[in-house]
Order: sequence, then structure tokens, then C-alpha cells
Amino acid sequence: MTSMSSGIQLTPEMAKIVRNQKMQDFLFHKVTFFFASLVLIVLAGILVSLVMTSWPALKEFGPGFFFSSEWDVVNQKFGGLTSIYGTLVTATLALVIAVPLSFGIAVFLTEMCPNWLRRPLGTAVELLAAVPSIIYGMFGLFVFAPLFATYVQPFLTDTIGQVPVIGALFQGAPNGIGLLCAALILAFMVVPFITSVMRDVFEIVPPVLKESAYGIGCTTWEVVTRIVLPYTQAGVVGGVMLGLGRALGETMAVTFVIGNAHRIRASLFSPGSSIASTLANEFGEAEPGLHYASLFALGLALFIITFIVLSAAKWMLVRMEKQKGTKS
Amino acid sequence: MTLDTTNLKNAIEVRNLDFFYGKFKGLKSINLNIAENKVTAFIGPSGCGKSTLLRTFNRMYDLYPGQRAEGEINLYGENILDKERDLNLLRSKVGMIFQKPTPFPMSIYDNIAFGVKLYENLNKADMDERVEWALNKAALWNEVKEKLNQSGLSLSGGQQQRLCIARGVAVKPSVLLLDEPTSALDPISTGKVEELVHELKNDYTVAIVTHNMQQAARVSDFTAFMYLGELIEFNETKQIFLKPDRKETEDYITGRFG
Amino acid sequence: MDIGIYNRRKRTNKIGLTLSMVAMTLGMIVLLWILFILFSKGFAALSGNFFTQSTPAAGSDGGGLANAIVGSLMMVVSCTLISTPIGVLAGIFMAEYGDRSRIAGITRFVTDIMLSAPSIVIGLFVYAILVAQVKHFSGWAGTMALSLLAVPVILKTTENMLRLVPGTLREAAYALGTPKWKVSFSVILRAAKSGVMTGILLAVARVSGETAPLLFTALNNQFFSTDMNKPMANLPVVIYQFALSPYENWVNLAWGGALLITLTVLGLNVLARVFFREKS
Repeated sequence: MTSMSSGIQLTPEMAKIVRNQKMQDFLFHKVTFFFASLVLIVLAGILVSLVMTSWPALKEFGPGFFFSSEWDVVNQKFGGLTSIYGTLVTATLALVIAVPLSFGIAVFLTEMCPNWLRRPLGTAVELLAAVPSIIYGMFGLFVFAPLFATYVQPFLTDTIGQVPVIGALFQGAPNGIGLLCAALILAFMVVPFITSVMRDVFEIVPPVLKESAYGIGCTTWEVVTRIVLPYTQAGVVGGVMLGLGRALGETMAVTFVIGNAHRIRASLFSPGSSIASTLANEFGEAEPGLHYASLFALGLALFIITFIVLSAAKWMLVRMEKQKGTKS
Repeated sequence: MTLDTTNLKNAIEVRNLDFFYGKFKGLKSINLNIAENKVTAFIGPSGCGKSTLLRTFNRMYDLYPGQRAEGEINLYGENILDKERDLNLLRSKVGMIFQKPTPFPMSIYDNIAFGVKLYENLNKADMDERVEWALNKAALWNEVKEKLNQSGLSLSGGQQQRLCIARGVAVKPSVLLLDEPTSALDPISTGKVEELVHELKNDYTVAIVTHNMQQAARVSDFTAFMYLGELIEFNETKQIFLKPDRKETEDYITGRFG
Repeated sequence: MDIGIYNRRKRTNKIGLTLSMVAMTLGMIVLLWILFILFSKGFAALSGNFFTQSTPAAGSDGGGLANAIVGSLMMVVSCTLISTPIGVLAGIFMAEYGDRSRIAGITRFVTDIMLSAPSIVIGLFVYAILVAQVKHFSGWAGTMALSLLAVPVILKTTENMLRLVPGTLREAAYALGTPKWKVSFSVILRAAKSGVMTGILLAVARVSGETAPLLFTALNNQFFSTDMNKPMANLPVVIYQFALSPYENWVNLAWGGALLITLTVLGLNVLARVFFREKS
């Protein structure tokens, strides 16, 4: 019998090593825990600081702040409605345009694209998603808006603009810049992102699933809409909501082309402002006082809106997973 | 039926061991002894609990919340299921080799040295000696002695598994647990590993789980047959395979179910 | 078989797929258009002076973006140095202790929120707690804002990459009696090394292009300065200010800056991809 087999001997050296190890693991836990909790601390900090700094405005104007469309710097009367309206309208419109486009591109990439083209096009989409948003803003201001004003806007005014009720959305001077233009630029910016997410989830669908559908004679379109889409609906919804969150908070792509006017008109051609664009434009010159506090109140509103949208997305995702039975 | 091992020293004694995966009872009242310096094999159909049992011997299940064991497992007289037991120390004395080869992402030399450095302070010369010794024990030295600085991942599957065995013996544990060590290997590598197991028992106590009955018959001194979480029969390997006591054992061995 | 139904299905299929093709073409056209504009307008500005001279005063000729380039570099590098350890260590916590800790669940949720949070609000936050307190803009404030954006990205990719490491490797390390911290650093992190680095590269790429968080923190600096305690020139804000100005010289410089930023960001993304593919 060798010494190796005579049970667990604890030499003093080993005892010391074991003690050190316990302490090392303890420290490891505490240090990593600290850094992980920093994220929570920051979030709390953001909320607290936003509320505190915007308090003077909230106190002065009350909750009505978010429903008033006044924005009078001279007379120190502020209301967030114009900015909130601009944010919501541009983001929603952008998504309405972007989601079908992204869907189409994703379908092309996964179902129709010839193999040799698949990788380069896919990479192109991903790289587009990485392009800084300020580029889209510049493109919008210098290239797109003038063309939009010259060709598209008159066309829209003459066609849909003549239809009763919704025609009012497409009336007005063809300035180029404005809510609709901002929504379009925002859509361009968001399409690559939503496309990548959709494409990623479409690719995870097991080939056998699609093959069984083809096997009973489904057309490609039917496979996509009846098999792939339902299978990936959680991922798709998640991706769309993420895109919405991004669109709501986007500054640069919007500020260049939204027109920066504090008013709400029926027409989508009119200039407006979003929360982000207001902040970008006015923060530099805001005097401490109600203007400053109101801007922070807008920031708070934006943060809360984004928070709600993203939380709703997560909640929906969890619920969808539960319904499908993949999560217990 | 447990074997009479009064003239054999036991490395591990299992008493009334129950194991739970959440609410599900994976092991029911296991009682057996693992004899020192012998090879004990665990056989049985999929899901019978043999891997579960093996993994209680080094408390590997502790990594997963929801898994727990109740009862007694005495390693040289000390109950390892005790809450106060230091797990790292236990695992340095009870080594484990897994089904899939798991070389660490580092050089072959470092793979072996890694475990040794944890608990021993060896100078370079001694460490070199230990690495060579371990690789020799695993019958791998001649194949890798020229390339000790290459990544462990550059070896073939069979070589990787022998590397893992070398890594396991380098720390000089008392017990070696082998969890289906050859099921991912080709026949030639399997043969080499089985030869190894024969040699290893001179210095270590070996417990091996295998779904290959012929392998159990080839390498082990004692065999335990398990089914649905219970220990059905435990005896000398010769007995189990030539004249099993229980009908279930006989049915399994003759291939009536699998 | 009812031929009518079948024809209808075929038609739907054709329409659907054609629309998809149209969407793809539209997307490609826009992409190429934007890139073309960017390159053509941007290249014109990339002269020798571009990289060596600082931003010109309003209305004057010549000049370059040297101070902005250096400023951006300094802030991005400091941001990387600060956010990498924080993000990686936090990611390690989530991967190692995440299954047993309730804090981990909340942190994951919050990280996802922060990932998509409006970057301009982050800028406001740093302004309120830092700039307003010391009463001046600074490169450090800009760095802090960028770090707040980078940490969630690094945290998430680190956690995901660590979780991808097979469980058996982890168990093999524990089976030798390795203490938890060593399993994490010497084995798991090492195995996931290339994926974690990719995450860091992608985070850096992302913050390099951000404008909004720098608007209220680093602001801008007309002159060349490497003092992080003062307002710091940086590419995104310079582009923003110059592009919206009436001076042709400034607008041209803005396009040059835009091209430079885009090339950097795309370059980092490509690097991250190549790096990952090579190692795995």
C-alpha cells in the first residue's frame, strides 16, 4: 500500500492552501458582484438625477407638462407635447415603413438568395447596421431631403394628399425636411438592424421543419409565413421592439432633418421636433432655471418611454416562450 | 447483494444513499463498498443512475442547484456528504475523467501542470519530472515528448483523452473516477485506455462507469449492476458475468434488454 | 384538385417573393447610395492637412480635424480601458453566479435596457452628476458617458461567450479541485477568449460613432488639446456642428470626418469578425 492510497492526509501546507483558496473565492465573489451591481446602481442613478434635475419644471407645470404644446423660451412656459409627439410619430412611422422592408430583405436572404451571394449581402447588412447614425443624418440633410422636396413631396400631395381625411397628412409646403423625412431617414437607419435580427432567427429554424412543409407542397411564401414566422415570432417581436427602442431614442439621424419647430400640425410634411432633437439643439444654450429643468423633464420622459417599450418587449418575449412551452 | 469484503480495505463505503434531481429520486438507498486498489465497474441501461452515483463520489453535482444527496459516503472513514467538507480538497483527492475529452485551452505541459500547481509547490525540475511521469503513466509520453508546448487541443481524440487521464493522475489522487471514458473513442484508443486502467489499479482505486459490458468484464475486479436508480447486484466480476444471482442482471447481461 | 385555389396560392407566392426582392433591391440601392455619397464627398476633404491641422475658425479656409481625431482617440481609448475590466468582471459574475442569484436576473434585465437606452439621456445623466458639479466640460466626462454605453455591451457578450463554454470543461477543472476563481479565469475565460475580445471590439466600434453622449459632456474644443480635464474636441460633435453650419469649408471637413468615422467603425467590425473566425 502506497502513501497515495492511505486516505485524505491534510498536511499543514495543504491546509494553508485551502484557507487561501477560500479567501480567494470569497474575494472573487464580492468583486465580480460589485461590478455587476454597478449596472443597477447606474440605472437608479440615472432615474434619480433626471427626476431631481427636472423637479423645478415638474413642480411648476405639474403633470400637465407632458400634455402642453407650449414651448416659449422668452416667457418661460414649457410643455413637452410637441417633442413627445414628434418622437412617437417619427419612431412609429419609421417602424411601419421599416418592418415590412426588413421582413422582405430577411426573406430574400434566407429563402431566395443564391448561395454565392448570401455571405456578402449578409455582411453588407450587418455592416450597414454598424454605420454611425450621424451619417444617416448628413445623408438625409444634404442629399435625401432636397430630392424628397423636389420629387416625392409634390407627388404625394397630388395623389394621397387629395384623398379626404388622410390627405391632410400629406399637404403643405414641400420643404423636404420635416416629420415624414425624419421618419424615412430613421427607417433607413433601423432597417439593417431589424433585418439582421430577423435573419438570425430565421436561420435558426431547423431545416427539417421547412422541408416537411415543402414536402406537402407548400410554396416558399407559405413556408415563410406559416412555418418560419410563427416559429420565430418571439425573436421577431423582440427585434422589432428593440428597433423601436432605438428609433425612439435616436438623436443624430433625426435632428438633421426634422426641422426643429415646436408645433404640432396635421401634415407630416411640417417641421417638428423630437425629444432627442430638442435636447441636442437647445441644451447648449439653456439657462439654468425652467428651460434647463424642462429639458431634463423631456429627457426623463424619453427614458421612461424607452424603458416601458423595452420592458414590454421582454415581457412579451417571456410570455411567448411560455405559451410555446419552451420555458416552464 | 453486497460482497463480503472483510479482508479488503475499502476506499469508499456508501450507506443508504439517496439522490434527488429536484423532486425526482435518481438513486434509491444505495449501499456498497469500493475496494482499495481495485477496479469497480458500474453497468446498467441508460438512466439507471450509474453516472449519477459516480458523480456523488466527488460531489460534482454540487455545481447544480436543485441536485442533492442524502445518506453517507465515507471516503477512508470520513463522510464526504458533510456540509463542512472542503470540496476543492476532496476533488484533489478524488479525480474524474469524463466521457468527452476535455483538454484545457493551454499547452500539453500546462494541462498537466495545472492541477499539480494548485496544491504543490514544485520547482521547474520537479515539475518537469512529474509531467513526464504522468504522461508515461497515460502511455502518452512518447507521442508528445517533442511537442509539450503545443496546445492540448492539437491532439487527436484518443490522445486528448489520455492527456486528461495523465492530468488526473498527475495530482496523485487516492481515487480515480472514470465516466464512460472510451465511449467517444475509436477502438484502438479504447484498447490503449483499457490497458491503462489495468495498470492504474496498482496505485489507485478506480471506479469506472461503462455502458459496454464487455469492457466491464475485461477491466474490472468488481461489478455493480444498476437499474432504475437501484443497486440490483454487486459482486466479483467473474460472478456477475458467469453466474449472476438476480434475474434482472442475467437479462441485462444476455441482452434481453439494453 | 381545385386548380383555382392552387393558382391563387401560386400568385400569392409570386407577389410575396417579388416584393421581397423589391425590398432587397431598395435596401441595396439606399446602402450603395449612402456609401457613394459618403465616399465621394468625404474623399475630397481628406488631404494632407486633414490629419495634421486643427479645426479652422468660422469662415476661414484650410484647416483639418487633427484635434478632433486625437480627442476622439483619447476618449475612446480611455473608455476601453475603463469599461473592459468592469464589463468583463461583471459578465463573469453573471456567468458564474447567475443561476443562483436573484440580483443576476435583475441585472440582466437592466443591462438589456441600458443596451438600447437613448444615448442622449446618458449624456444628460453625466452632465448632471459630473459636469454641472465641477462646472466645466471635460474629456473625462465624455469618457464616462462612453463607458456607460460600452459596459452593457461588454457585459452581455462576455456572459454569453462564457456560457457557451461546454459544461464538461468546467466540470473537468472543478474535478481537479480548482478553486472557483481559477476555474473562471484560467480555464473558462481562456476558452472564451476570442469571443470576449470580439465583444470588446464591437463595443469600441459602437462608442466610436456616438455623438449624443458627447454633446453635453466633452462638448468640443476649437484648439488642439490633450488635457482630459478640459472640453475635448472629438469627431462626432465636430461633424455635427460643421455640417449644420453655413460655411462650405466646414461642411467639407464634416464629410471628411464622417468618412473617417465610418471607415473606423466598419474596420473595427470587420476586424472583430475576422478575429473571431480565425480563433474559433
